[in-house]
Parts: sequence; structure tokens; C-alpha cells
Amino acid sequence: MSESINEKTIVNSKSLRWKLGPLWSLVSLLLLVYLVTVGNSYLGDSVSVQMQYALVNLVIVVALYMFIGTSGVLSFGHVAFVALGAWTVGLLTIDPTLKRNLLSDLFPFLFELQAPWLPAILIGGLVGGLLALIVGPVLMRLNGLQAGIATFALLLVVGQVLTYWSSIGPRSGQSMVGIPEVLDLQTTMLFALGAIIFAWLYQRTRPARLLRATREDGIAAAAAGINIVTQRTIAFALSGVVAGVAGGLFALTNRVVQASLFGIELTFITLAMLVLGGMLSLSGAVIGALVFSLIDLILVRFQNGLEIGSYVVSLPQGARPIILGVILVLMLIFRPSGLTGGREIVWPFRRTAPLPGVPPTNE
Amino acid sequence: MNQLVQSLVDAISAGATLGLAALSIGLVFGVIRLANFAAGEIITASGYSIIFTWQLGWYVAIPIAIIIGVILSLLMELGVFSRMRTATPATLLVASFGLSFLLQRVYELLFTNNVQTAAVAPELARTISVGGIRFQLLSLATIVIAGVILFALIQFLNKSIWGLQLQAAAADFRTARLVGIPASRVIGLSFALSGILAAAVAFVTTVQTGAVGPTFGVPIVILALIGAVIGGIDKISGALAGGFLVGFATSMLASWLPSDMSNFRDAYVFLLVIVVLIFRPSGLLVRGGTVRT
Amino acid sequence: MNSLRPTWERAVVSADSSQALVGGLSVDGLEVSYAGVPAVRGIGLEVPAGHAIGLIGPNGAGKSSALLGIMGAVPRSGSVRVAGQDVDGLSPEQVVRRGVSLVPEGRHVFTGLSVRDNLRLGGVGRRAKEGYTETLEYVLELFPILAEFNNRQAGLLSGGQQQQLAIGRALMADPDILMLDEPSLGLSPTAVDSVFDALNAIRSAGKAVLVVEQRAEFTVAFCEKTYVLHDGEITLELKPEDADNVEKLTEAYFG
Repeated sequence: MSESINEKTIVNSKSLRWKLGPLWSLVSLLLLVYLVTVGNSYLGDSVSVQMQYALVNLVIVVALYMFIGTSGVLSFGHVAFVALGAWTVGLLTIDPTLKRNLLSDLFPFLFELQAPWLPAILIGGLVGGLLALIVGPVLMRLNGLQAGIATFALLLVVGQVLTYWSSIGPRSGQSMVGIPEVLDLQTTMLFALGAIIFAWLYQRTRPARLLRATREDGIAAAAAGINIVTQRTIAFALSGVVAGVAGGLFALTNRVVQASLFGIELTFITLAMLVLGGMLSLSGAVIGALVFSLIDLILVRFQNGLEIGSYVVSLPQGARPIILGVILVLMLIFRPSGLTGGREIVWPFRRTAPLPGVPPTNE
Repeated sequence: MNQLVQSLVDAISAGATLGLAALSIGLVFGVIRLANFAAGEIITASGYSIIFTWQLGWYVAIPIAIIIGVILSLLMELGVFSRMRTATPATLLVASFGLSFLLQRVYELLFTNNVQTAAVAPELARTISVGGIRFQLLSLATIVIAGVILFALIQFLNKSIWGLQLQAAAADFRTARLVGIPASRVIGLSFALSGILAAAVAFVTTVQTGAVGPTFGVPIVILALIGAVIGGIDKISGALAGGFLVGFATSMLASWLPSDMSNFRDAYVFLLVIVVLIFRPSGLLVRGGTVRT
Repeated sequence: MNSLRPTWERAVVSADSSQALVGGLSVDGLEVSYAGVPAVRGIGLEVPAGHAIGLIGPNGAGKSSALLGIMGAVPRSGSVRVAGQDVDGLSPEQVVRRGVSLVPEGRHVFTGLSVRDNLRLGGVGRRAKEGYTETLEYVLELFPILAEFNNRQAGLLSGGQQQQLAIGRALMADPDILMLDEPSLGLSPTAVDSVFDALNAIRSAGKAVLVVEQRAEFTVAFCEKTYVLHDGEITLELKPEDADNVEKLTEAYFG
């Protein structure tokens, strides 16, 4: 009966189409981000600011995808790396005098420690990646629910430490203020594009392919000699760097940093964006983040009162997060694979095979 | 010495409370592999209910709180989780995360961000003297309440046909169906029991704090979920033990940590959790093998 | 070959299809696939009351899938009729209440519960609450070991005893049709004998029995008719007379 092979799996790997497909998916994503950013920047200052936050969130979601999408393991802890990135940038860019006055309990060497904002962001990324690298070998042995809980515990530990350890930051209840206003929308977009390229490059490397193999069947992969913990740690660390960079961007966007900003709420929102777009593809991460942010932008408009014809429609305060939450839950019920279904953008190169590595089966 | 005994009793009481909460999560997980983060919002709902109805008398307020807990729990199953039977446990967790987030905002909308207060069972909020040692009456009462509930639950699970069906479904869902056990009803039962336990947790916590806000249940469910997983969420006894351990440890640390380290009390507990998970991923009480998640 | 003949050897009455299908199982065009990969490609069989029908075949032939498909535990297409009534779209627990019980591969007794509780749970799927005590008595008579170990934890029983418990549990639902997936798996020859003795009694009591097995010889000898399943399709029908025919059996497995 079914002797015919599914046409989609027949590809001539030497064909130009086959080689250009993945490149196109990257370019299309970059274009998409560019267009959305530029489009929104014309809509006024407040929208520009929101767009900047949206781009920061996009970078976080890309970081999440790099780990969760490749390894198939859930992480609730990436916002901890975001926090570290933000902390680093805050400490490095706030004026020393301000630091002495407002963050008086700091270690003395931190008062004078300064860096220009651009290197500071990159250092922030490295700090995030460093923590990921340290806890990686330990946490990466866990699967599924246990990994989720362990990374969640990591998030909480970091949150507690940053809240109360006043030698490295503000006292509990206070915030880091005075981060300079040097980051504009364009630069943020460039960072976002860079993050996407970074993730795209990573997923084409051998470690990433090996890791995807473990997604489907960990036992078979281990039997084939793939060191699961090593591969996961690599992905964890690299995604930690990207998350740290996002934290730096956040610090420069928000210009105020405190531990409570990096907790369950941000974890949930970024995870929601990833789920919305589709956990298993880079396109999913980007599209999910953009769509979610756009919906949010629209809802804000409604909240402030939108004129439709002769009516003014406005949302009650507090309805916005509820609507977002409902969308997420509905998405999970009816289309858990997300808007992209775990596929990359392939049109017009329709014959491109999906990334090697099959999505995990549901029990 | 006295202080040790007092802190032990308080710790056991805290462990009992968290054990019940963890059990509430473990009962549902055992059957459908759902770690319900939104269980915290069921506790909050029951908490609000107690605060608002306490002046009608405990014989009115407590049953209503239980009913509310059960109804909300069943609504979650009917509205959301029953449609996700083929989802992975990770997806289910994210969905429950979303539901939790959603409900917290709904409570904010309905009841404002401020806490609602009432003096719930003030008779319990005092100390008594037993054998020369002073105890918190509430701690003792909590231990008794938890003990009674636990006993009733164990009897139900082991003796009644519905309890047996629940055990069978938790042990081997597919075979249970093949034998004729009605899947949806058993799942509904687990949610209903979960709701009852949530109401109990809400009761003892409202007596203690007298105030309920939109995020009332969140810190409880975080610790309960963590506790259930490290105890071995796969077995009902594991969840209970894990929750008890986390509650006990948190309370003891609160009593005995030197004051300059007390801010980091929770951090120590979470670190402990990570350590346990590394050495015993399937949980403390589960012997060998990994939980299939 | 002869030494493998079981002790219940009897003159087998050939299956007379005009005999009433009352209380029988009728399957036509059954198809089961998993994520697009077909496991059962359209099979048909009839299990009349008071008869035992066998289904044999190599590993991966689709035997378990066929049984699960009949129970509605996996998505299937095709027609399944119980006592002439369609059971399309019913969930497994509903199919049980129509009078079909499955003893799954590997027995799957509830190891943490006692023998008594296992049997009690089997009764949950009964169509009628009346007659429970009679059924229990029948089961305990059929498998005296279950009465002896009534309070023992099921996980502590031996493989053969667990198999008896699994069958007893299935019988507690008072089915008209009993299906068994590889009941001889992992059992000693003596245990296999007692299981098939019991199946003989169950058949004689008027139930329809469908046995899936990997081992050909005694299944073919026991059942009025045995179908051979190969790669999802029925390739051969064997009669008890064929049990000694080595050629035909080999053909069945490797043809």
C-alpha cells in the first residue's frame, strides 16, 4: 500500500535549493525583525520604547530556544542569566559617585570598576554564560520535570542572592538607578539581529546536531557515544551568554535594575512567547516574540482607548495580562507546537527538509 | 531545650501544611502527569472564601471553602487539562504556569492588589503550656488536622472502590482503562481530592496570617511543587514526604539560622533542593529508575 | 512434537460458522496505524461464543495492535461488532461494559494492591452489578490459588500466578468475549498448561476466546481456528490438524 516514499524527504543535497533554504530562513527572520522595528518606530515615541523592550524580550526568547529547542529539556532558569547580565551592566556603567552614595555596601573594588556600555553588555553576556557553564555539568543530567524544577530552583536562588547580598548590589527593597541613556532602538535591533545570527550559526554546528539527536531518544544517542551532559552544557552555556546580553540590554533600556524584575513573571512571559511561536525552531522563537509583543502593543492601545468609527473601545485596566494568559493557554491546548509548528520559514524553497532531529514524541 | 521542642513542633506543623499541599499536587500528577502550578490559585480562592465568610461561623465558612476548592479544581480539569491528554508533562507544566498567571491577574481584578483580612479562628492563635513548655496552639492544631485528613485519605484510598480505582489509575493508567476503570471520572476524583486538600492548606494558613492577597498561594505552591518532586512525585507517599521535608527544613532554618544569614534562608532551601535532585533525580523515596517524564 | 501436547487434548469440534454468533466477536477490515505507520492492514476474523480462536505471528506482526484496536485503546478504522452491535468510537472502559475483556501482554496486575483488590477492580467494568458474588466464586474456583493468596500483594506472586490473577480480573467484568495477549509469555510449561486448562473451561462455559500467541504449536492445537498474522495482514488459516505439520507452520512464519 504505502510503498511510495514521502516526497518531502527526497532532496538532492547538492541542489542550490537545498543549500539556500536555511539561509533564506535566516534572512527572512532578520528582515522580519527589521521591518517590524522600523514600522513601529514611525508610530511615535511611546511605541518605540515598547518596541525596544520587545526586542530585549526577543533576545531572551532566542536564548531560551537555543537551549530548550535543541536539547528538548525545559529550563525555567534562564532569567537568572538575564539578571546577571543586567547586574553586570548596571555595576559597570553607573557613575562611581552614584554608586558610592546609593549602593554603599558594595565591595570597594566595585566602586571604581567601570566600562563603556558596549563592552559592558558583552561582559554581562560572559558572566551569564559563566554561571551556566558552572551549574551546567550538575544540572544537565536531569530530564523533563526534574530539570524544570532544578532550573526553577536556580532562578530562585539567584533571585534571593541578588535581593539580599548588598555587597554586589543594592540593599533589599532598593534598586540600581542611574544607568546612562545610551541605547537607542537601532542598536538594540542590531543586537537582536546579532543574537538571531548567533543562534542560527549555533544550530548548524555539530554539537547542536548531536544534541538534537538526544532529543528524540536519549538512550540511543548515548549508546552512539554522544555525551549528553557535555552537549547540553554547551547549549546551556551559549544560551546563557545570549541571555546575559539580553540582561545588559534590559538594564540599558529600563535604566533601573532590581532583583524583582527577574523572577517568575519574566520567565513566564518569555516562555509564553517561545511556546506561542513554536519551541522547536528559531523561526518559532522570533515569530512568537514578535507576535506576542505586537498583540501586547495593540492591547495597550485598546487600554488607552481606541477610536473605531464613532466608538471608543477601551479595555479595563488589568485585562491585558489576562488576555495574554488566555491566548497562551488556548495555544497550548489547541496547537502546542506553536504558530510555526516547529518548522523554519522555508517558502519559497518548499523542498527543504526540516532540521535533522525529529520532534520529541508525546506520551 | 524548650526552644528545641517548640521549634520542632513548629517545624512539624509547617511540614504537615506543606505536605498536604504537595499531596494535593501529587494526587493529580500520579494520574495524568500534570504538575499543577495553578494549585496555588486554588489555595488562594479557598483563602479568599474563608476570609469573606468567616463571620458566618466556622460550620459555614469551612464547607464553603472546601466546595470552592473542589469546584475550581474541577473547572481547571474540564476547561483546560482535559483537552491536553496527549501533551508532554513539560507542556502541561507550562500550561499550568499560564493558568496560574492568568488566575492571579483575575484575582487582582476582582479583589484588588491589597490583601483582604479577617480574624480567622482567633481562638487558635495563642500559646498553651504543656508540661512546662509553651506551644503555639495553631501548630498543634495543624498537626492534628493534617493527621486526621491524612488518615481519612489513606482509608479512602485503600478501602473504598473509588480509592482503589485511583490507585490503579495512578499505577498503570492504560491497564486501568482496559480493565474498565472510567478514566475521566478517576481524573475528576483526583482533582476533587486535590481541591479539598487545598482548602485545608488555605484554612491553616489564613488562621496564621489573617490576610489573603492575589498571590497568597504562590509561595506555598512553589515550595510544595519543589517538595513533591524531590520526594518523588511519582508516588503519593513520595510527594507527601518531600513536601513535609521542605516545610520542615524551611521552618527549622527560620528558627535556628543566625540573624545575618536569615535573609538567605530560602536560598539555602533551594540549594538543598538542587543537591537532592542531582543525587536522587527520581526523588528521595523512589528506589532506582527514573520517573518517566 | 508430541511431547509438547498439552494435557487437555480433546476432540475438537470444527468451527461451524452457522453456529450462533450470539455473544460473539466479529471484526472486519480492521486497520491500526501509529503516526502514519500501519501496524494492522485490514484484517477480519470471527470469534463465536463457545469457541477459541488463535492469532499467531512473529514479533511486530501487529497482534497486540489488533487487540488494542478492538478495545478502542488505539485509534482504528474498520468494523468491530460485539454480539452484533457496533462498538465504534467507544473508549476502552466502555468496550469493557459491552462485554469484551482484554488480558494485556505482560499481565499488568496492579502490583501494589492485594489479589482481592485486583479482582474487586476487575468488577468495576461489569455491565450489571448483580451476579458479582457468583462471578467471584467462579473465578476462585477456576483459580484456587487466588483464594489462597487473597490478601497477598499482587506483586509478590509468581509469573504464572499473576497470569491467573490477570485472567481472573478480566473475568470479573463478566465478559462474553475474552481476549488474551500472549498469556504464555515467560511462563513455565506447567504454568502454561494450567492457564490453557482454565481457558478450556472458559470456552466450555460458553465464552468467546481470542488468544494471541507467538508460539504456534499448542495454540493451533487448542483453537478451533488459528489465523496467522504477518506484517499486519492475515496470511493463513490453520486448523488443529495442522499442529503437527511442521512445513505448514514454518510457512506461516517465514512465508
